[in-house]
Amino acid sequence: MTDGTWVTLISLGVTFLFMLGVPVLLVIGYWVIGCSFVLGLTLDNMGAELLNVFNKGFALLAMPLFILTGDLINKSGIARRLSDFAYACLGWIRGGLAMASLGACGLFAAISGSNSATTATIGSMLHPEMIKGGYDERFSAATAAAGGTVGIIIPPSIIFIVYGFLMNLPISELFVAGILPGALMVIGMQLACWVICRINGWGYLIPLQLNRVLKTAFGAWLGFFAIGLVLWGIYTGKFSPTEAAGVTVGFCVIAGLVSYPINRIMGARNDIPPTEKSFAEMFVVEGFTIPEIPSIVIRSAQITGILAPLIAISVVMQQILSLLGAQETIGNFVTSMGGYHAVLFTSMVIVFFSGMVLESLPVTIILAPILAPIAASVGIDPIHFSVIFLMGASIGFITPPYGLNLYVASGVTGVPYFRLLRYTVPYLAALLSVWILVSLVPDLALILLPKN
Amino acid sequence: MSFWADIGAIFRALMSRDSFEIQSALESDAAWVVGILAAAISGLIVMFIYRKVPVIERQLERSVMVYSYLAIALIIFWGVIDRFVFNDQEPWSTTIPPLLFMVMAWFGASYNVRLRTHLSFSEFRSSMPRAGQLACLILDAVLWFIFAVIVIVTTTRLVALSASNFQIVLGTDNIMQWWFLLAAPLAFFLMVGRVFQNLADDLQNWKTGEPLIKQAVIGAD
Repeated sequence: MTDGTWVTLISLGVTFLFMLGVPVLLVIGYWVIGCSFVLGLTLDNMGAELLNVFNKGFALLAMPLFILTGDLINKSGIARRLSDFAYACLGWIRGGLAMASLGACGLFAAISGSNSATTATIGSMLHPEMIKGGYDERFSAATAAAGGTVGIIIPPSIIFIVYGFLMNLPISELFVAGILPGALMVIGMQLACWVICRINGWGYLIPLQLNRVLKTAFGAWLGFFAIGLVLWGIYTGKFSPTEAAGVTVGFCVIAGLVSYPINRIMGARNDIPPTEKSFAEMFVVEGFTIPEIPSIVIRSAQITGILAPLIAISVVMQQILSLLGAQETIGNFVTSMGGYHAVLFTSMVIVFFSGMVLESLPVTIILAPILAPIAASVGIDPIHFSVIFLMGASIGFITPPYGLNLYVASGVTGVPYFRLLRYTVPYLAALLSVWILVSLVPDLALILLPKN
Repeated sequence: MSFWADIGAIFRALMSRDSFEIQSALESDAAWVVGILAAAISGLIVMFIYRKVPVIERQLERSVMVYSYLAIALIIFWGVIDRFVFNDQEPWSTTIPPLLFMVMAWFGASYNVRLRTHLSFSEFRSSMPRAGQLACLILDAVLWFIFAVIVIVTTTRLVALSASNFQIVLGTDNIMQWWFLLAAPLAFFLMVGRVFQNLADDLQNWKTGEPLIKQAVIGAD
């Protein structure tokens, strides 16, 4: 048998394992092991790469740190304040609470870099309130799942970090390029949400009060400060993305620890809605104590313990793919489609369908090194292409059969996975429209970049 | 005969605690046999220890993960403060955190094996009959075990290579890289223990009629 036949058989074999529910880490691992034998490669190469990916990657360190920021602002109560603010701004519109939870996802995403943390945090926080507010529980869970997709487009974002790390692009510029498309994703989904809620008459309206908006905005100042810190640091180049992540973690820890005693001294009541609190009570958040820190960190550590090994094994898979000449085969196919737009849309279709079956990190690590050079060869700006690519990968979070956000949303809300699917369709349509818009208008990604 | 001689050579080299000897002895294929045995035996020992001392079972991986995580954050945070405020930065503040990240990642992988939270597509599996479910779970265990053995053997070779070359962590004077790299094979030894633990639970559930597959939630307490 030829090498090609063997590789096909191995690929079919591991796909079967995937269908049986074998963890993705093992599925990719056994593909690597099988192909190593076919190519006559020593397995030592795999072992070495599993260590080197981390050892050589200071840039990659931003990933665990930006996952940690999510848990820290959640536990300290900053995330709650951000969502209160979003609700105060949007509660007067039909479907305001659902739109506010999408907005809260956007704000949360501006401090945390992880999509599943965004879904889990906003989902567990706002799902009970949405049920109380008269929304369908399936729609509410779908909202959390869809909102989480912006978690990895609005900077900071772990997937931009991995993309920049692999493709040697400046991560800070990728972050900046993600701002407008991420905001558009939020607005697009809010629009879809508004239409659905109007049709179904979901949600109760609260009056728009300037006092309430100001009070909740004041209460969320720590969150805005953290967002500003990340953006300022990256935009001005004062520190690298990894350092920005370290600084944000440091800030969140200090904010949490300092808030706790102040909050106690001021006698703030935590269990009443923001409308009944005074401005003084909104000054600091609930915070946490030093003994609580390990229990906060362990959640992030667990997620990192899932994602980091997956990154490492995907990097090995990408190396083997390039040895097998996948670059040429796929490259020939994509370039045979024609010029600029044909290549762009073929790439988008490939990313979209890969995102349906794989997690975003493997999709990025495996496909980006293949597709990005082709895109560059037909004149697509590398930064613009990265945004298009990663938006596609993020949409994969809510596409069946394998949509990670759907699992997370189903886990935190208790709504079964299959019942959720139908309610994600409007969001999917909104995200796809924004995706196509961004792909056609490069300025949406590039206009904010600092001019040289 | 040479095969047995190779195995003997590995043990002799390990006894001598000479990294160069270990590195050359591990190059033979006998390393795989020793690897399988070592993984199986240590896996059983780990499982036994976990059963007898629940504190270790609960805290070992968690502590390694949490404290390397916090150390990473602290070192990087301090690196920035150091630069902005004191115009100074420790040279190792960018080289030690990646190594700690590696330690955390592989201990985390082991911890997630126990929690069964590694990403997977379990929709078909959960609708299978019980015998099918048990077969899938056993398949998982076998695949984890083989994977762990491969990683243990290949990374141990790497640790020995690093030690025999006196690789020093960049930016430090006397911190050896292999101290950190050793965490990878160790984490996979622990992982084998976790795999055995899970398998024992599954067989127990099979006998008592408990549900075999429970929905695991990532990040649940």
